[in-house]
Amino acid sequence: MSDILHIEGLSAGYGALGVLHSVDLTVRAGERIGIVGLNGHGKSTLLRAVAGLTGWQSGSIKLNGVEIGGARSQGPGRYTHKIVRMGLSLMPEGDALFHGLSVADHLDSGAYTKRAWRERKQRREYVLGIFPPLQKLLDQPVGKLSGGERRMVSLGRGLMADAKLLLIDEPSLGLAPKISKSLVEALMQIDIKDGAMVIVEQNLSLLQGNVSRLIGLHAGKLKGGALAPDLPTNELVHRDSHLHPYH
Amino acid sequence: MDPYYLLLTAVSLASIYGLLAIGISIIWSSLGMINLAQGFTFTAAGYGAWLVAENISTNGLAVVAGGVITGALVGALTGAVAFVPLYDKPNFPLRSLIATLAISLMGGQCLLWLFTPRVKALPKIFGVGSVHIGPATASYDKIGAIACTAVLLLLTLGWMKRSRRGLEIRAMMQNPEGAALVGVGLRSTAMAVMMVTGAMAGLASVLLSQTYFISPFAGTTPLVKGMVVALAGGLGSVAGALIAAVLIGFVEAFTAVELGGQWVLITQFLFIIAVLLVRPRGIAGMIEHSRE
Repeated sequence: MSDILHIEGLSAGYGALGVLHSVDLTVRAGERIGIVGLNGHGKSTLLRAVAGLTGWQSGSIKLNGVEIGGARSQGPGRYTHKIVRMGLSLMPEGDALFHGLSVADHLDSGAYTKRAWRERKQRREYVLGIFPPLQKLLDQPVGKLSGGERRMVSLGRGLMADAKLLLIDEPSLGLAPKISKSLVEALMQIDIKDGAMVIVEQNLSLLQGNVSRLIGLHAGKLKGGALAPDLPTNELVHRDSHLHPYH
Repeated sequence: MDPYYLLLTAVSLASIYGLLAIGISIIWSSLGMINLAQGFTFTAAGYGAWLVAENISTNGLAVVAGGVITGALVGALTGAVAFVPLYDKPNFPLRSLIATLAISLMGGQCLLWLFTPRVKALPKIFGVGSVHIGPATASYDKIGAIACTAVLLLLTLGWMKRSRRGLEIRAMMQNPEGAALVGVGLRSTAMAVMMVTGAMAGLASVLLSQTYFISPFAGTTPLVKGMVVALAGGLGSVAGALIAAVLIGFVEAFTAVELGGQWVLITQFLFIIAVLLVRPRGIAGMIEHSRE
């Protein structure tokens, strides 16, 4: 299987602050990966660095074999749209929604390739199949929706084009346990085909048993499983006991 | 005083100021830039239309096209100088404000140098004369101004609503980072915004030059009025800019008829101060923190 994402020696941060320290990570086609860790240990920064949204970064990031990383000290977001067009879909923390635009507009905005834009009606149906509650909210401005509904819009928007790599930042953040559980279940039902999915979470139990690999992120460094895809998750969790928030 | 004359004057002024104000408003909300060069775009487009009329054809469509195309080009130039190199640097709002001010001042001097201070007049593209609609008398250039503005606004709003590019602009107005995450290139979208708003200023210039002469700094007053309308309407709101344009147009027409033309700027500024005191975000403006 080919590598969808290959990260080598990635360091990243904001201003004088270094958050990630020489991280290596390989994600293969067909994999669903969970990255767990506590607040402030660099989970979001890892995803943002792949999208080119950090203040500065250095190290190699290859998406589908094409280099998108390198050293950069300014201009966060300057190349994000180009990276996105290469097949990346980031559903960020805080959802990055357009509050005055309707749900339908959001889904359409996610269809950035020519083909996806032509097929946007069919694709909208596909997303509504994954998140049925959005069906009757299509004409509502997103600013009026609840937290769970917004998360669905953000996730649905990221599914409208043919992204190879889906990066999902804390699907459960700020949501009631029941809603976050059903959201994660919906995410697991998405057909990733020959792509890959990386979910970053604080709540280990939401991902356990659902993903092909669980990786810990502690103090800006990945712990276990980052390169070896066959490690059973239970073993990893016991070995790196500090991964568990309540240990 | 003829109430129909007042109404018609107000609406035709509103359509001209509205074109500038909507441009300023869209640029502010999508690029985060206060474009002080919009007045220069306006003036340059007037000269573009004049060059077409002198050298190519005095046909109305050709003159309008000359103004609109020059406006779009100058808009693109402003974007290339004041937005593209600056937008990801610290303090962008202030830097771009100064950059657009510089473009406006330097551009005015260049026009003065190229075309001399002598004023130019555009041909009457709508002809001279007037029609009687019931009890009202409407001159051709007022009807033409209103009709042209309506057509351009409908085209622009439809394009903003239906096309992918329009959706990208609306997305960028609300959340630039979210827009980048759905593959919107900020620079190319910004250039599209600058060209469309420049074209609007160009049309406004041709329309206003049916009544006034073109001179190197003719854009200053329309810029001030466009800015006033955009602020009173609420920066970022096209509907608000339209409402404010009609209100300001009424204030101008009413003042000119009742008190005399020299009072127009005073009553307009009193009006906008009153609006902003009662409603600081303007008539239909976004609340500041709703834009992330």
